[in-house]
Amino acid sequence: MSTPQAEQIKILRDRSDMLTTARNFFLQRNILEVDCPLITQAASIDAHIDLIKVLDEQGTRYLHSSPEYGMKRLLSEGIGDIYQLGHVFRHGEQSLKHNPEFMMAEWYRLNISFEQMIEETVEFIRLFIGDLPFHIISYRDLFLKYTSLDYLHATHQELYNYLTTHEVIPYPGIELEGRDALLNLILGSLIEPQLGKNELCVLAYYPSSQAALAKTCQRGDETAAERFEIYYKGVELANGYHELTNSTEQRQRFIESNAFRLQLGKETLPIDELFLKALEKGLPDCCGVAVGFDRLMMLRHNRNNIADVIPFAWDIA
Amino acid sequence: MPQVSTNEFKAGLKIEVEGQPYTIVSNEFVKPGKGQSFNRVRIKHLKTNRVIEKTFKSGDKVDIADVSETNMRLLYKEADGAVFMDEITFEQITIPTDTLGDISQWLVDDILYGVIFYNGNPVTVEPPTFMEMRIVETAPGDRGNTASGRVLKPAITQSGAKIQVPIFIDQDEVVKVDTRTGEYVARVTESK
Repeated sequence: MSTPQAEQIKILRDRSDMLTTARNFFLQRNILEVDCPLITQAASIDAHIDLIKVLDEQGTRYLHSSPEYGMKRLLSEGIGDIYQLGHVFRHGEQSLKHNPEFMMAEWYRLNISFEQMIEETVEFIRLFIGDLPFHIISYRDLFLKYTSLDYLHATHQELYNYLTTHEVIPYPGIELEGRDALLNLILGSLIEPQLGKNELCVLAYYPSSQAALAKTCQRGDETAAERFEIYYKGVELANGYHELTNSTEQRQRFIESNAFRLQLGKETLPIDELFLKALEKGLPDCCGVAVGFDRLMMLRHNRNNIADVIPFAWDIA
Repeated sequence: MPQVSTNEFKAGLKIEVEGQPYTIVSNEFVKPGKGQSFNRVRIKHLKTNRVIEKTFKSGDKVDIADVSETNMRLLYKEADGAVFMDEITFEQITIPTDTLGDISQWLVDDILYGVIFYNGNPVTVEPPTFMEMRIVETAPGDRGNTASGRVLKPAITQSGAKIQVPIFIDQDEVVKVDTRTGEYVARVTESK
């Protein structure tokens, strides 16, 4: 029986191999590697993603939570298909499945359909955990299947009652955060742990209120976001979009996210005018996805602690 | 009152929820997609031991319960409580029967117990995990029953706990008991 240290070194050697495997995946598809800066003046504005600040004499900068804005600036300059494989940072996200600094593979593809992007992401994931089948289910169908709730028409009270009858007591103040907070609590505590038992579960077509940077589309009486996430064994692995290209709508979403941040008692974040200017210039129609590299390594090596697959976890970094 | 953020939650931490003292049993950070992260936390009520699950918005702060534990020796039992003495200060306190609750069945004179104080008042008593106790009442072993698999029989300990012991244990023998479950662990022949 080898020591934990020897085990970890073995995993780190494989990690090196998998970084190469990932780069080859992109090379074979003629996707160019870019290295957008990690420290930026403005940064991703998400109501629920907090950033780590970097202070210098000129003021506050931010460690990026994703290279998305920088990559999209390059896309609007006409660079073509690109990927970035590097570390991203999220304040306070620490658990067995989270390290505040983690490795992300993010890529963008021009002239590709939303469904094709899902398939390509599945192919990438298979490099790590084998040739698994996958199944696409819409957010609306997922809720119907697991909870019998139609998220679009369920009342606030129905969502709340569903939680309490399943022994999940919503945290204080949730009533101020709208329906999405209740949906999020149902998804996170009662549905997610069941997703992707024997196959990759692709959760697609999110509520338009959870579109983030995705385009929306009409599906019957529902306006849905062309956004997907992929789960295996209850672990979220990827988040992808058919990318929003409209700068006016993008600015509007930034303003809404910042307003929500204020409501949550958080500080607002500076709007990335350079990114918006790039969108005005014209972001080509494209799909993008971000995949958690460390989580793939956890699944590949049957580990339930992210600390086992990275050199030094946050507490000993 | 001092507070603690959900980021610092860990098993064993004593917190106050809705004015009641709890111990954290387990804590899980959950963050679905781009949504609000939250913590699913199982907490055990300090007095009733009832375990419930709560969610907390990640980053929120909760009050730390003013809880302390002192090792105290049981001096004697009274009609309506038990008198314990602090090993260091020699201070004596009487803990009423109501507070002792189920713990009463594990009280033996001259044994050290953990006494948990909440806001300065004793709220519960923790017996040692394993205790050696004399059996004061049990039926004679019917060895004929072993074949049918009925190898345990009821018994009552010197402290009044009703437990199950193997049929070969006789009255006045001393046995080791797990106070968490009330299960018989071993025969303690040398103490006989």
